[in-house]
Amino acid sequence: MSPAAAMSLEQFTNELNELVKAANASFAAASNAEELDAARVEFLGAKNGRIKTVQKSLGSISKEDKPAAGKALNATKKSITDGFEAAKERLGGDETADQVDPTFDPTLPGTKVSVGRLHPITQTINELKDIMGRLGFTTAEGPEVEDDYHNFQALNIPRSHPARDPLDNFYLSVAQSQAQHVSLSDDNPLLLRTQTSTVQIRVMENRKPPIRIVSLGRVYRPDTADWSHYPMFHQMEGLMIDENVTLADLKTVLKLFATSYLGGDVPIRIRPSFFPFTEPSVEADYFWDGKWVEFGGAGIVDPNVLSAVGYDPEKVSGFAFGLGVERLCMIRHQITDIRYLFTNDVRFLRQF
Amino acid sequence: MIVSLNWLCEYLDGAAHAALAKRHDELVDRLTMSGLNHEGTEPVGDDQAIDLEVTSNRADCLGHIGVAREVSVLLDIPLSVPDPQPVTGTEAIDKLCNVEINSDKCFRYTARLVKGVKIGPSPDWMVNRLAALGIESINNVVDITNYVMFECGQPLHAYDFAKLDGGKIIVRNANEKEEFLAIDHKTYPLDPAMCMIADAKNAVAIGGVMGGADSEISDATTDVLVEAAYFDQLSVRKTARQLNLHSPSAFRFERDVDSAQLDWASRRCCELILELAGGTLCEGMLDVGQPPAKLPDVTLRFAQLKRVLGIEIPADVATEILSNLGLSIISSDKESVTATAPSWRKDLTREVDLVEEVGRIYGFDKVPDDALVPMAASMRPKTDRVVDKIRNVMTSAGFDEAMTATMVPEKWATAFSPWTDQQPIISSQPMLGVLEKASRNIGAVSMLRRSLVPSLIEARRINEFRGNDDINLFETAKVYLHNPKSHLPDQPTKLAIVSGMDFFAIKGIVETIVAQLSPKSKVVAEPCSDPLFDPSQSANLSVDGKRLGLVGKVSASAQSDFRLRSPATVAEIDIAVLESLAVLIPIHENQSQFQPMSRDFNFIVENEIHWSDLENTILENGGQLIESIDYRETFRDPKKDGENKKRLLLSIVLRSATATLTGEEAEVVCKKIIGACEKSHGAVLLG
Repeated sequence: MSPAAAMSLEQFTNELNELVKAANASFAAASNAEELDAARVEFLGAKNGRIKTVQKSLGSISKEDKPAAGKALNATKKSITDGFEAAKERLGGDETADQVDPTFDPTLPGTKVSVGRLHPITQTINELKDIMGRLGFTTAEGPEVEDDYHNFQALNIPRSHPARDPLDNFYLSVAQSQAQHVSLSDDNPLLLRTQTSTVQIRVMENRKPPIRIVSLGRVYRPDTADWSHYPMFHQMEGLMIDENVTLADLKTVLKLFATSYLGGDVPIRIRPSFFPFTEPSVEADYFWDGKWVEFGGAGIVDPNVLSAVGYDPEKVSGFAFGLGVERLCMIRHQITDIRYLFTNDVRFLRQF
Repeated sequence: MIVSLNWLCEYLDGAAHAALAKRHDELVDRLTMSGLNHEGTEPVGDDQAIDLEVTSNRADCLGHIGVAREVSVLLDIPLSVPDPQPVTGTEAIDKLCNVEINSDKCFRYTARLVKGVKIGPSPDWMVNRLAALGIESINNVVDITNYVMFECGQPLHAYDFAKLDGGKIIVRNANEKEEFLAIDHKTYPLDPAMCMIADAKNAVAIGGVMGGADSEISDATTDVLVEAAYFDQLSVRKTARQLNLHSPSAFRFERDVDSAQLDWASRRCCELILELAGGTLCEGMLDVGQPPAKLPDVTLRFAQLKRVLGIEIPADVATEILSNLGLSIISSDKESVTATAPSWRKDLTREVDLVEEVGRIYGFDKVPDDALVPMAASMRPKTDRVVDKIRNVMTSAGFDEAMTATMVPEKWATAFSPWTDQQPIISSQPMLGVLEKASRNIGAVSMLRRSLVPSLIEARRINEFRGNDDINLFETAKVYLHNPKSHLPDQPTKLAIVSGMDFFAIKGIVETIVAQLSPKSKVVAEPCSDPLFDPSQSANLSVDGKRLGLVGKVSASAQSDFRLRSPATVAEIDIAVLESLAVLIPIHENQSQFQPMSRDFNFIVENEIHWSDLENTILENGGQLIESIDYRETFRDPKKDGENKKRLLLSIVLRSATATLTGEEAEVVCKKIIGACEKSHGAVLLG
């Protein structure tokens, strides 16, 4: 191979600059896709494009200038390619796209994305936590296996109260000590909690007022499962304790809660009821679809409960309220059998 | 409690039935808003049966007079309660009969005796009133005892006096192994916790619960002993429940009766017997046991009304309400009132009880629902945030969230216990009706679960059986682990996963959860030998030296035990560990602006060499330039590479934070890695 005439770096870069100018002029002159493609072949063509031609002269650049020349060449290629792309965009893209591919069926289903669903009870609980959170109530948790003291005694539920009947509770023992089977005569037997009110006691035992908590979780009562009962269900319990908390504050919070949950200004009412751990005790109803619907029990925390946790009932007061999560969830989604919630048929779960 | 409107009017002076019937809606609304929730009204003949829900503290409203007292206060209609004064004969009861109480379950017992009665049908008015309440007419005397019970709330019992041996009533506890033939002609086994009424020889009634067949009123009865007694509420409840004998009588004793009105009820009953069945009332009443306890004086400070109810109620209004409700006002001044509750309101013993009374009659509708509740900040607990992130990963991965019962049959409780060697906790009662039909023969659902996995496997089985596809389930819930060192068991929350995907898919999900919560943590897998799992498709997982949980393919035998049709992989993860390592507020790090460089390796190693061995060696030797190490695949070619060998293909990405890497720099790192892998693991680089 005969040595080609040596080319200086300067000559080479000049040539490149000319090429960019010429290419841009051609691209700008193209008025349709055909002309533009012709210009592309002229400058960027893989075999005889002008850039290829210039590239061949790279061999005649002196060794020390070669890296710089290579770099300039790459920059030129990019600049011309960019110019072409910009021109193509200006002309409104590829005309071949207008030709319909007869094999294309846009009605075929898109690629399936499999996304799971949260359980409707979880969704309800999340919403309740959200609403109560906005009202300043922080979530608190307590154990599901509780003792007699927290489930009954501290909540002002005396030994004679029907709620403590062994047949109405899941009292617990451990297999290896059958002989010491837990019975009511034991000091402080364990059981699955029958209400989330136990969390009130656990929180108040460990903290001083002011308190604003909400607790959501599983509770248990030995009802035989049928369409409206299940031996396990969920409750929400709210508690607010401060220096001047009254029934009016309770009614206000319940009203705000109902408004948030139902998404509109709904009338609510409270009417007297009875719970050992509140006095006065009330049932709260909201007016929906032309009738009063029960949404939970509530009341002013009984002074005995405050005393049990070492608060002075003369100094602080508060309210508590509780409601059944399944009930809210089932009414909202028109679920007609509570057992559907715990059978976990994926077709059921995927509705929510 | 079903109330006959006709009957109710009898005690409301001046309120003709028609007048009150017109006010039915107002009446039931006021009752609802003052504590007797209206559940419905049914017309019965020319009467209306109003169903009211009576809370357990208001036993006084389990009779028409009690309800009338409420109506009287609410609608401001004078109350008129009869004052029965039956005419007595000359024969004294204590010459014919005697009563003794030898049981701590009966506090007071009274008896009257009517001789020469004629048993027959009841008059229409009584039959109709009882019918409105759904009570069938038996005969005049039995109907009268029922009538008076529904009138005043005090249960009564009438005995055929001729059948009471020795003319004696002995209240005693049942004997060991004693049996009793009740009025329903069934025989009941008794135990010493039950209170019996006996004559000189035999038991004649289960106190407060049911009478006996032998002494029941029959057409031949001429002399009637009327019992009005006060039994211990707990004892009656236990007995009624144990024998499954639930009667209106037991219902009232269970809620505690007013022992001060025993005499009234007894007189009223005898008066009606004389009127409707004839006969002569013996002189006097046998009355044994304790007189009614005196209720305490209670002081209500008027300021407490505002403090509890949030509304002002004038002092005179409050005092009048208490007085109207039957409380005796002992004294009152500007600041407070002191009062004593009537005998039928044993629930009013504290100041706050009086606050409630004043409030409920004044009207909770007057309590505003727009009070100025101060704002307060709330915080989302870390656990909630962590569980939310976990749930997000699970649903994004296509898993549906399940919720299964806390208690399981023994077979499931013992099938899998990855968290404890302690025995499962047993419940005194099983959960009934929670198993699907096909699983009901597994056993009673009476153990607290130590793992969520068996319940989720059952959920998968149900889905398989129903022909559902893509059964990918997870649950976050507590497990219950006996801890001999603590009063309460440990109750940690776990995440369980059950899926038809393979081991590595599920492991990948667990790794993704960890990466989401703590990008720098690394899940370490070690062999696992739990019998639930296929030993070559399972692993114990740990992270940062803490036990995270385990993942494994259900072994063929377990799959058949749980009646799963297709293979399944399960995992159970400790959420407390995830919470401990969760980084909820990630800290920004500058990203390198320079190009990465990728290098592929194909190492031949012994089968025993694990991926993690190579990975760790590469990490240790690659230095700071290593950005990532990606496993590609494992390949075996015994002919070329020899038995017991495998090829591990992997890529590494190198990147510098400060400059573009040169080929030479990358080469240095690669050489070091290759050398170290060879030295530590005998890895031979191919190609």
